[in-house]
Amino acid sequence: MKISQLSYVLLSVSLVLLLAGCSGANSGGKSSAPSASADPAAGEKKTPVTFTYFNAAVAGKDANTNETVLGKLLEDQTGVNFKMEYLVGDLNTKLGVMIAGGDLPDVVVPDSGIDKMLDAKAFIPLNDLLDQYAPNLKKLYGPYWDQMASEDGNIYVIPFAASNGFVPDMYQPGAFYIQQGVLKEFGYPKIQTLDEYFDLIKKYKEKYPQIDGGDTIGFETLTDDWRFFTLTNPAPNLNGLPNEGEVFVDMETKKAAVTGDKDFMKRWLQKLNEANSEGLLDKESLVAKYDQYIAKLSSGRVLGFFDYGWQIVPAVQNLVQAGNDDRNFIGFPLVFEKGTKDQYLDPPTFVTNRGIGITTRAKDPARIIQYFDNMVKEENQKLLFWGEQGKTYEVDDKGRFYRTEEQIAQIQNPEFQQSYGFSYFSYYWPMGAGLFEDGNAYFPDRQPEVVEKSYTEGDKRILEAYGLKVFTDVYSPPDERKWYPVWSANKQQGSKEQLFEQKKMDLQRKWFPKLILAAPDKFDAMWGDYVADFNKLDVKAYEDWANSVVQDRLAGKKR
Amino acid sequence: MARKSWLGKLAEQKTLLLMSVPFVLWLLVFRYIPVWGWSIAFQQFRPGTSPFDQEWVGFRNFKFLFQDENFYQVMRNTLAMSLINLVLGFVTAIVLAILLNELRSVVFKRTVQTISYLPHFISWVVASSIIVTALSTESSGIVNLVLMKLGIIQEPILWLAEGKYFWGILGISEVWKNLGWNTIIYLTAITTIDPAQYEAAEIDGANRLQRILYVTLPGLKSVIVILLILNLGNILESGFEPQYLLGNGLTAEYSDNLDLFVLKYGIAMGNFSLATAAGVFKTVISIILLFGANHIAKRLGQPRLF
Repeated sequence: MKISQLSYVLLSVSLVLLLAGCSGANSGGKSSAPSASADPAAGEKKTPVTFTYFNAAVAGKDANTNETVLGKLLEDQTGVNFKMEYLVGDLNTKLGVMIAGGDLPDVVVPDSGIDKMLDAKAFIPLNDLLDQYAPNLKKLYGPYWDQMASEDGNIYVIPFAASNGFVPDMYQPGAFYIQQGVLKEFGYPKIQTLDEYFDLIKKYKEKYPQIDGGDTIGFETLTDDWRFFTLTNPAPNLNGLPNEGEVFVDMETKKAAVTGDKDFMKRWLQKLNEANSEGLLDKESLVAKYDQYIAKLSSGRVLGFFDYGWQIVPAVQNLVQAGNDDRNFIGFPLVFEKGTKDQYLDPPTFVTNRGIGITTRAKDPARIIQYFDNMVKEENQKLLFWGEQGKTYEVDDKGRFYRTEEQIAQIQNPEFQQSYGFSYFSYYWPMGAGLFEDGNAYFPDRQPEVVEKSYTEGDKRILEAYGLKVFTDVYSPPDERKWYPVWSANKQQGSKEQLFEQKKMDLQRKWFPKLILAAPDKFDAMWGDYVADFNKLDVKAYEDWANSVVQDRLAGKKR
Repeated sequence: MARKSWLGKLAEQKTLLLMSVPFVLWLLVFRYIPVWGWSIAFQQFRPGTSPFDQEWVGFRNFKFLFQDENFYQVMRNTLAMSLINLVLGFVTAIVLAILLNELRSVVFKRTVQTISYLPHFISWVVASSIIVTALSTESSGIVNLVLMKLGIIQEPILWLAEGKYFWGILGISEVWKNLGWNTIIYLTAITTIDPAQYEAAEIDGANRLQRILYVTLPGLKSVIVILLILNLGNILESGFEPQYLLGNGLTAEYSDNLDLFVLKYGIAMGNFSLATAAGVFKTVISIILLFGANHIAKRLGQPRLF
């Protein structure tokens, strides 16, 4: 072969390689425009000014607050506009670049990157500013004020959602869901225990082996990647414990212990193993991806599963669209033994290690604090969450807020939420939660008058059959747990507790499907092998860490 | 004397030299300066802290990597999947390229080529969905359906739940996806073979098979060797997306490779130092293999890379 020809071939190879090499690079580190700061003359409060705001917690469309209806109203009151930027890509990388480059916006919502910001001393202490300019913030956050300070006594971030009164969510949190058709078939029986639940599913599947031409699926699991917790979380729940992540905390001794090797975990897996041997479990769901899971739930062939309301939204929407209410679901907080009080609902907590802070680059922090203070006035909170009376909500003669069906439909449109500003102000700013002084809910989707209007006919029928007002009425009220939840505490990079969680997940991802698929007579021996493997992990270091979190939080310290 | 002629050569080729400057600069800026980042592998790296304030930890990250009990399993999987892909990829691509070359009907040839390219342009996310559906135990799972109709199996098999099937599934998927694409280079190489050689072989009475064996294959030899050397350098790159998308807890013992290990214990945990250490390790192995293969090729008198 002539060498020139070979070199053409080689050239094409190297081009392919070169292109492949290039595709890995991306253009990060877009610099945010400096704020057009106005003259900070003392008396002139309303000189228009634009600050920059970076939100690392969620993805969103970058915008100016004064381009939205709500933001414009706030600008009229204060003269302040925020240029909002949202996270694109990886949080750690983006914050790392911002800090390293000194290219900080005026206001940052760092989410889980908060330690990075504090390490780099990028936030200013707010104590003096709050004392001087923020009577409304002090009033709203009053009950939590002591928890807001860091160990050095300074307040660096203002947390979100200072809650006043407990209002359950419209979406169900964790629950064992069951098809409404199954309940209808057997005359809406009350189900409390896991055994009753599986019995019902078994009876229905025997009677109707096929639904819409496909095989009836008794019970579906979700094990895809990070969503694996959907398989492990029910175990403590069934035992009357709330979901604290990898541990549970004894109410008496306040001692934390891992859940992974406990009897309730074994009992839960053994029940799934039994369901599998009876042909009730969808084996394939142990290897399926999230989108296949949603597709199966949407098919109407699945009778039961455990999940969280927010994870099944697309499936429920599909089922509602299909219009057959019998195929839609209702969730129950099941327990192992009758009489155990369920603790599926999260106890009200105030999360202090997430929030919004002002950076050292901010030119006029006083104006920003004043803006925050202004936005948490009760009338402005009503404005930000409910909108304008007559346009996005109505008030009845008893002073209760409600929305007409047209208003509900309009607000469900994501474009409207953006142009009006709801999607920008619904969270990630200083704000309250729970109930206003007049008894209305902060969030419209937790106001019974609004929730009831958004239910379908089928929803209403099943609620009536069980004597419920909203779906969340099935739960027992949560006990007070001041440390709750342990999982939200920050873990140091590369720490033992972080390593434990990853190793534990790898181990359980390997073992739990095996245990579920095993022949029932081999289950006990396999469980023993699993526990032996589990105990090789650094359980003690993890429990020590969890206990220190519980103790610190009980002592009112921030973790 | 030699020196002068070298300088003379430089002056003579100054236009060429000037043209190469941007590319040399590109190489320096994007391929050599970033090697500075390797220093992260020897630190407990914290973003946002200046290089002088980082904590230097020596080889601790490498130690963690090599001492983890999963590391050897991960390495075994990486090498096994890489070799399977390498062998299958080479054999199938060469066979298809030769078969295509022997076709007389241009229309049929082009059609086959286009069809076999197509899967290459499907992203792995979509491709894995297709594969999972094909292997499903539900009525949509064509693989189980065909096997059951043929009477080879009685019960549908949950293919993706058995670790021992994983390498096979991956190998076949890779072939399906990249076969057509891989043939391009061999087809190109075949067109560079002097037609006179075929004519001579024909006159000598060689039949088709003999022409393939004694003209086409020797003509392809240099390309095959060069590609083999290049691919050996990439042996630790067994892919990321297919393993990530098709693997699950039950197959993890066979599907977790080095890249997934780095994702889980490095990047996902914010441990950039570990991720960098693994990258350094991969590069070193690649360089050794590349030079080794090149050296062997040289010893055997084969064409080589450099």
